[in-house]
Amino acid sequence: MSPTALGVLLVVVSTIIEGFGQTFLKKSALDIARRHHWILLGVAVLIVEVLLYSGALRFLAVSTAFPITSLSFVMVTVLSRWLLGERVTPLRWAGVGLILVGTSLIVAQA
Amino acid sequence: MKTGAVPVRLVIGLAVAVALDTALQLVWKTGVADLPETSSLVELVGAVARNPIFLLVVAFMAAQLVNWLKVLDHADLSYAKPFTSLSYVTVCVLSVLLLGEHIAPLQIVGIVVVVAGVWCVSQTGRTALDRGAKPE
Repeated sequence: MSPTALGVLLVVVSTIIEGFGQTFLKKSALDIARRHHWILLGVAVLIVEVLLYSGALRFLAVSTAFPITSLSFVMVTVLSRWLLGERVTPLRWAGVGLILVGTSLIVAQA
Repeated sequence: MKTGAVPVRLVIGLAVAVALDTALQLVWKTGVADLPETSSLVELVGAVARNPIFLLVVAFMAAQLVNWLKVLDHADLSYAKPFTSLSYVTVCVLSVLLLGEHIAPLQIVGIVVVVAGVWCVSQTGRTALDRGAKPE
């Protein structure tokens, strides 16, 4: 695997992890009985995300890595629909599509 | 959020949010680029602990969180969030000017599409109940 591909993979995995981290933090507001459990889990996951993104910056220009982190909006949208049962509007799905297209263009040129 | 003129405090808060986001990314990249080429995790952690740039990274993260909470005191998340996507533009412009990075035209198109996407994703009410939706 080339260093660039590894960097892109690390950013993508870090955005997936951020999606779960944000979902866990939201769960902490919904599941009061296990509030601290969810907050700890959320913070732990976000620390892993920071480490992975730092790794990605070793292989990628920040002008490439940072826009790819917008995939976290996609992850949060998908996970909030899937795990939290939140309603997602058509406009928001359109935004998810645009972010996927935009990040694909950035990765294609990386 | 109140309608009418945008409070000056909110405008400053949003500008600071973009500035902190931009500074964080540029400083973070500078710090990571300073790290030695090694596969030893212990050596890497030691290098991070000795490099004051990473203290600055943590300080920017903390300042970002405090400022963001202040911004959300004055605006809905769906109103404030799209403005922060401007940092995708400022980070790229400043990474070219300050770090000497190169950006291809296709990347610029990609960033514009991403900003449009973030704007669309953020155009929702604060909670599902605000929009009159029934929980599923």
